[in-house]
Amino acid sequence: MATFLVILHGLLAVVLLGGITHQALSVAWPSRNKSGIFRSFRAVSGSVYTNANIALFLATVTLGSIIYPAYRVSVRTYLENARLNSAVGSFELKEQFITIGLGMLPLYWLLWRRPPEAAGAKSARIAVTLMLAFIVWYGFLVGHVLNNIRGLFGL
Amino acid sequence: MNMEKVFPVFAAAFAVIYILAVQYNWALLTYHPKIGEWGWLAEPAKNGPPMYWYGWLVTSTFGATAVSLLSWPLVRRWSAQLWIGWMVPLVVIFIFVYLFRGFFVR
Repeated sequence: MATFLVILHGLLAVVLLGGITHQALSVAWPSRNKSGIFRSFRAVSGSVYTNANIALFLATVTLGSIIYPAYRVSVRTYLENARLNSAVGSFELKEQFITIGLGMLPLYWLLWRRPPEAAGAKSARIAVTLMLAFIVWYGFLVGHVLNNIRGLFGL
Repeated sequence: MNMEKVFPVFAAAFAVIYILAVQYNWALLTYHPKIGEWGWLAEPAKNGPPMYWYGWLVTSTFGATAVSLLSWPLVRRWSAQLWIGWMVPLVVIFIFVYLFRGFFVR
């Protein structure tokens, strides 16, 4: 069951990664020209991703919180015994970053709900989206590496 | 209640309360994964490692909601300060990196 949930957690994270990256690039580095795959990637309408990104973020965190005890009892103990402090620390940071991201979701939703009018709304929208994109990328990479750490590092 | 004024306060308060909860272990709940048992507040280990993250999350959610509500009479008079909703969490992220540096520099 835990393996199934880890795979589902990873798959949801992949979808979230795509959505938040599209949105982050469309707001931080917009393009009106759709010629070529990279310009097309940045030329999307960022606002359409908001609700899906929030739902995916919440679903991914919920699944992560369900499988977290298995990590805490088995995986972290293994990492600590193997003195893989960087791996343990990377996960600790992931946990904290994701939680900070959770607290920013209401503001993220608000900033994408309508065109920014208040002073600083545009920069706030860019900053919040880029921070969430960073958090998702960091969480994904750390989770992926830890999930495969024995194979990746020949342990 | 104006969301443009309240949500930045919530995001900032959530981040600050969360880092304080982690640092001083203000967990409203503790989970003991090995025996599948929940407890109130921060409990010491029973059998296997205790998990406080769920408790820190609950503490931060309640705390940030309370701060948002209590600060409303003050912030309603101001223009929306959206920047605190991302600047404070950004600073908290850097503080976390600093606090956890021991994992990487040992």
